[in-house]
Amino acid sequence: MAQQGIAGARRGQSRTARKLADLMSRWAFMMPAAVLLLAVLAYPILYTIEISFSRFDLASFSAVEWVGWENYAHVLDDYRFWDSMKVTMVYLVFALPIQIVLGFSIAFLINAEWRGRSVVRALFIIPMVVAPVVAGGIWRMILDPLWGIVNYLIGLFGFGPLDWFGDATLAMAAIVIIDTWRWTPFVVLTATAALLSLPKDVFEAAEIDGANWWSKLWSITLPLLVPIIAATFVVRWLGAVKMFDIALAATYGGPGGATNVINLFIYEEAFRSLRFAESAAMAVIILVATMILTGIFLRGSRFLEERY
Amino acid sequence: MKQSLNLMNSISRRALLVAAAVVATVPAALAQEVEIRVMANEAFANSIETTEVVEFNKHYPNIKVVVDGVPYVELLAKMMLDSTSPTPVYDVMIIDDPWAPQLAEIGVLQDLKSDEIAAFTDPDYDWSDFNAAPLAAGEWKGVQYGVPLRSNMLMMFYNRTLYDKAGVPAPTPALTWDEYLAQAEKLVQDTDGDGKIDSWAVDTYFVREPLTPTIWQTIMNSNGGKLLDADGKPAFNSEVGIAALDTHKKLLDFAPPGALGHGFTESLQAFRQGTVATMFQWGSVYRSSAVDPKSTTLTPEEVGIQVMPAGSVTAGAHRGIWSGAMSAKSQQKEAAWTFLQWLSSKEGETWRANNLGTFPARKSTLASTPAEDSQWLTPIYTALQLAYDVAAKGEMWRIRHPRSDAAQQILADEIGRAMAGRVTSEEALTTAADKIEKILK
Amino acid sequence: MNAIAEYAGPKRRRGKLGSQLRIAAGVFVCFIFLFPLIWMVLTSFKDQRDIFTTPPTLFFTPTLESYITYLQRPDIWRRLLNTVIVAIGSGVISIIAGSMAGYALARIKLRGAGMIGVLIILSRGVPPIALAVPMFLVARSLGITDQHITLILAYCTFLIPYVMWLMRGFFMSLPKELEESAMIDGCTRFGAFFKIIVPISLPGLLSTLIFSMILAWEELLFALVLTNRNASTIPVAIQGIAGDTINGANWSALTAVGTITVLPVVIFALLVQKWLVQGMADGATKG
Repeated sequence: MAQQGIAGARRGQSRTARKLADLMSRWAFMMPAAVLLLAVLAYPILYTIEISFSRFDLASFSAVEWVGWENYAHVLDDYRFWDSMKVTMVYLVFALPIQIVLGFSIAFLINAEWRGRSVVRALFIIPMVVAPVVAGGIWRMILDPLWGIVNYLIGLFGFGPLDWFGDATLAMAAIVIIDTWRWTPFVVLTATAALLSLPKDVFEAAEIDGANWWSKLWSITLPLLVPIIAATFVVRWLGAVKMFDIALAATYGGPGGATNVINLFIYEEAFRSLRFAESAAMAVIILVATMILTGIFLRGSRFLEERY
Repeated sequence: MKQSLNLMNSISRRALLVAAAVVATVPAALAQEVEIRVMANEAFANSIETTEVVEFNKHYPNIKVVVDGVPYVELLAKMMLDSTSPTPVYDVMIIDDPWAPQLAEIGVLQDLKSDEIAAFTDPDYDWSDFNAAPLAAGEWKGVQYGVPLRSNMLMMFYNRTLYDKAGVPAPTPALTWDEYLAQAEKLVQDTDGDGKIDSWAVDTYFVREPLTPTIWQTIMNSNGGKLLDADGKPAFNSEVGIAALDTHKKLLDFAPPGALGHGFTESLQAFRQGTVATMFQWGSVYRSSAVDPKSTTLTPEEVGIQVMPAGSVTAGAHRGIWSGAMSAKSQQKEAAWTFLQWLSSKEGETWRANNLGTFPARKSTLASTPAEDSQWLTPIYTALQLAYDVAAKGEMWRIRHPRSDAAQQILADEIGRAMAGRVTSEEALTTAADKIEKILK
Repeated sequence: MNAIAEYAGPKRRRGKLGSQLRIAAGVFVCFIFLFPLIWMVLTSFKDQRDIFTTPPTLFFTPTLESYITYLQRPDIWRRLLNTVIVAIGSGVISIIAGSMAGYALARIKLRGAGMIGVLIILSRGVPPIALAVPMFLVARSLGITDQHITLILAYCTFLIPYVMWLMRGFFMSLPKELEESAMIDGCTRFGAFFKIIVPISLPGLLSTLIFSMILAWEELLFALVLTNRNASTIPVAIQGIAGDTINGANWSALTAVGTITVLPVVIFALLVQKWLVQGMADGATKG
């Protein structure tokens, strides 16, 4: 009886221990990433928030005086901030959908089974590797109205040279083209990997059922790909919000601020104008705006994942 | 003769230093090997390390100099980050024209005329030999923080072949902006007779970037306009300022297609290809645009260089000086100053001008004859000396203030908008004046 | 059985023609994407004076001068090596930490983990410009500026969230029965993850690894702020050549250094592709 009691207690103990060990092993998956990010990111983010509410002293590189919302007021009062927000929106609205659709379409194309497939896939990543300033410069060379090959080719067909970097609309188009050229390969890379890991038996079954190409794509492939399409979109969105290097290299944000995306503006305020407090205030505004939009996208992708 | 003089100079200086060290019985820093670190623009850091330091070490073998390059755009921020540290890595900073006030104000620069530094200064080091304009770039509130190392002025470059073809007389320093604009029409021409325009009058800074306002400012200054008034408030949104911006904009009509996106590099490319007849540009590009056959299609005989066109009041110029400055917290002040002193001394400056083509700041160097294989420098010396005098008289440089880069960025933004035709010149300058007043207060 | 074979016959032939068309289209698209790079390589063999001509020149006397000049500079080699170290270091750390976190999000029921995951991905909303300076201040007070580990840790902050989120997507599309059966067979959770899940997700893991390493490879801002000399990377050198305020950007040099920078990554990607295809074949036979 007494022994039974002890055994019971032991069993209880080992059950808690096992539960605890189980919980630990679950958390062990999350912990390395969480701890590392907390250690490296917590201070910089808090510092940014702090100086966004302070007067910034360059001599000590620190916040010296709490000024409340003053920096935010300066920023919100600056037409350049709002112009940059608008420019960023236009860029995102065009660049993101184009890249996702193009990326997945190309992935379907180049995923045909043949010997050169892996070479094509490997070559496809090069646009991502070229340093943005070189990429921007090469595109400038290609698009230049005087010595660019594109305008030379257009000229052969009798069209006048296009001033890609002198016209506000064309300059934005150029930025979207260059960014699409640069980042569609990322979507292709992820999408081909996703296509490779799709379970083959489902397709074989579908083939036996006599499903045609289109219905296979629409009712099997796409639903299976929803989680990865959503993930690609979120990653690309978070990357695109931060784009400024291409704009800096290709258009200098011009003509007249027409391609001055918000991160370029923040960068210039910090590194050229040395206005770190204002730039921090903008960074915090962007952080909040990005968080809200990302939250919406996450909701959206969960909705899609649950539907399929 | 000259060599033996140099030799004697360096011998006597070394003797002097040794003697000073012995007399003062301080640890003779220069007798032991020391290392100093220099932060410089990546564009010339490598060349300093591989040429100037090597030559310097022939005279001072015990001072090891390590030069680290940082890309220009991030250089000032990087200098601030390092020099505000309690133990900065860098002893020497090579700073751009408008930076002395910004770095001096946060207390990181060493006063080069202080007693501490004067003790290490060669008695032959002639401060008064410097031209006023370049020396003033290293000064802030009456204290000398830097010595001119690489001097530069905005200049007018012209392609004689294209001028001849258009039948336009070569410019002289008396040429005014109005006269130039009248000639510009003729300089837009079809050189090979196929009925298509293939050569344009002018290229320079038009793009949205911090150096574009310097062209507008030069036009304004030469017409008697000022950036700031006596109280340090913006005065550039005047009639003269607006007219100057209209002139700058008018240049676009005679510039090659796509010029609205052109800045430093792009206008150089156009000029070196013989696509434009005139270029308003920093004098230092002469070598790569007229002399070096790897980078240019032109020759020194073909390329003329002179001061910027004149306005209604005075000739035009604009200053851009790289100064050598020292960190106030450096542990190697004697070695650091010895290095800067040698670079900016008569001897060092002459050596660098003759062997590397760097532009001198000293009156005596400019009055001398360049070495035999650097004869292309002769017309530049004349133009430089003229430009220094004009610039000093008219204070033709960017805003000098602890927040000058912030002000310059606003000018870049607004002039960029005016150039692109998004606002009128008046609107752009009014907005800029309003914003800059807030920044400078 | 026969009926099916008969049915599949003509369709497969039609499929063959279709797939050839597909291949041709794929190669064509690839060529379009590579065109600017072909232009880059061509330019790197030109003298500076031949680059900006009207009309553009396709035939010119090639020169290796830019390659020779820059490959002789010791700082280019040092920076190339640093870039390799930092890209591999941060890529590997991120792929391990990130894919484990992604797995936790996709498969493990864990209260609070979802919230942490969302926070991690939301941390990517901070503009990097805002992070660079405070990171430098931390590194300075710890005395670890200009060291590889500093740059590796800094890069992990943006790589881990991406890896985590992408891998979550890959893991979610795997059938749940996989690790359930493994754990019934007595595997621990770690065992199931490393022995079952990782091999089957190899395409996703490898492409995410390539992506992370590329991001680290071409990162400029943190490299500029956090390093001086010892840990400085290639993008900093490229930025310096592009922002040459003395002679103007030397495009011959820029494209040459650009080409040098691209080569190691392309070779790496080709090697990995081979490995990836092999891994797939192994997986298929096991299955």
